[in-house]
Amino acid sequence: MQAVLSPMPEVRLFWELAQRSFQRHLTYRAATLAGLATNVFFGFLRVAVMTALYGTRTEVAGMDLASAITFTGLAQAVIAYLSIFGWYDLMRSVNSGEVASDLLKPLGYFRFWLALDLGRASVAFLLRGVSIMLLYLCFFPIIVPDRPMQWVALGASFILSWLLSFAWRFLINLTAFWTPNALGIGRFAFGAAWVLSGFFMPLRFFPDWFQTFCYLTPFPSMVTTTIEIYLGLLTGPALVQALFVQLFWIVVMILACQRVLRAGVHRLVIQGG
Amino acid sequence: MQRVLFLWGIYWRLIGVQVRAQMQYRMTFILEVLSSGITLFLFFLSIAFVLQRFGNLGGWTLGEIAFLWGTVEFSFGLMDMIFSGFDPATFGKQVRQGLFDQLLLRPVNITTQVMGSEFVLRRLGRIAQGALILGVALNLADIQWTLGKVLYLPLIIAGMICFFGGLFIIGATISFWTIESIEAMNVLTYGSGEMMAYPMHIYPDWLRRTFTYIVPTIFLNYYPALYFLDKPDPLGMPAIVSFISPLVGAGVLVVALRFWRFGIQRYQSTGT
Repeated sequence: MQAVLSPMPEVRLFWELAQRSFQRHLTYRAATLAGLATNVFFGFLRVAVMTALYGTRTEVAGMDLASAITFTGLAQAVIAYLSIFGWYDLMRSVNSGEVASDLLKPLGYFRFWLALDLGRASVAFLLRGVSIMLLYLCFFPIIVPDRPMQWVALGASFILSWLLSFAWRFLINLTAFWTPNALGIGRFAFGAAWVLSGFFMPLRFFPDWFQTFCYLTPFPSMVTTTIEIYLGLLTGPALVQALFVQLFWIVVMILACQRVLRAGVHRLVIQGG
Repeated sequence: MQRVLFLWGIYWRLIGVQVRAQMQYRMTFILEVLSSGITLFLFFLSIAFVLQRFGNLGGWTLGEIAFLWGTVEFSFGLMDMIFSGFDPATFGKQVRQGLFDQLLLRPVNITTQVMGSEFVLRRLGRIAQGALILGVALNLADIQWTLGKVLYLPLIIAGMICFFGGLFIIGATISFWTIESIEAMNVLTYGSGEMMAYPMHIYPDWLRRTFTYIVPTIFLNYYPALYFLDKPDPLGMPAIVSFISPLVGAGVLVVALRFWRFGIQRYQSTGT
């Protein structure tokens, strides 16, 4: 009754789904702890590599060693939040046939998955992301932003990066509507982003021509923009521009998602029962 | 002898089925080989770019890093193709679902069956990019070839395959008792692979010691690399440790197989 009376039942449903997903992901304690340990371990390795690279240098491409170390922490911190290593939930639901009931839900298909991912990403952000940065703070001389405006921009950029990453993952997963072998395409699509987004190494360290190439793709808006805002490498008009570029890619990606989804639903053959 | 030949025949037949099945989806197979080869190679390309700017990493040039990187990627790829039956991620699932019990009921050696239960052909992508990086290393690094080095190179590859294979088997055995500590084992396996791509002297003491005395990672490609590249040892170990890589690899595999047999004897089904 209440749902019917509510002025915007879709919004209510969206939040309800997101909340359920949030609570569900909170319960995976062992997995969270194991993931955290893995991230911290690989973070330590990356710190050692950065330290060895810098040697006696104080600054390279506008970054000092403290920035480079902080970079490795932030990169590990966004792995779970943005599902950097891949996300195949939607694909699996197509292969198992669950997609049939999901498409019938009284909430758009994109928004349905967006709500679920919001819950997942929030848990990942708090339990994996924030805790990694706190652990880094204990072990390494990392940088912490000190201007309030920087934190505001950072918050906006974090949300935008998640939206963009979600739309990208959704789009790639939609290939499962066409082929039962979408997994290979997914592996390639997610793998390409590891380097091009600036997750593995700061894009600034690359030669100019390769940086230009990376910035022609949406991937730097998923990782590099947020990290550079955190490190204070993006400020003033450049920062505002970077946020708009993130927004631009989100709009492009969501439009692409809608078109592909519409075509895909017509094509879809539900397997099994 | 006859028993060994019999098992060998069974193994090949099991793998033959795997290969034929995977080749049914030829396009998928080609795509997966290409995509994993390319995405993994991008990592190396980044390091090459970064070294262009920085010049060296802990005193090692791009060619020298490529030697470490190429040997470990090539070996890990090969191991991952051959030993994927023991991959804790998939093996653990089989134990939980009771599929492992089916294998135990068959009148054939269980290790052979698990070895033959999975043969991931798409790992060829990783193997190929490892070989390519090794090629880069042989071109860029100024290696003074001697007969000893030529003969030793295949041995260190074999050593690493045994080493990583052993870690997979230990992980698989642990999954008889618990699935939650598998992650810790994965950190040792994949962490070792990651560490071996860079010269081990760059890591903090406690980390390097752990991967010297608890997991003998350092002997598998770092010390052999010092020999191949004629570099001095900054850690001051006896010179002989450059040559024990195949022994260490084989040792880890033997210990792992012992643990595996022990695990099988104690194994109690989940009942599902």
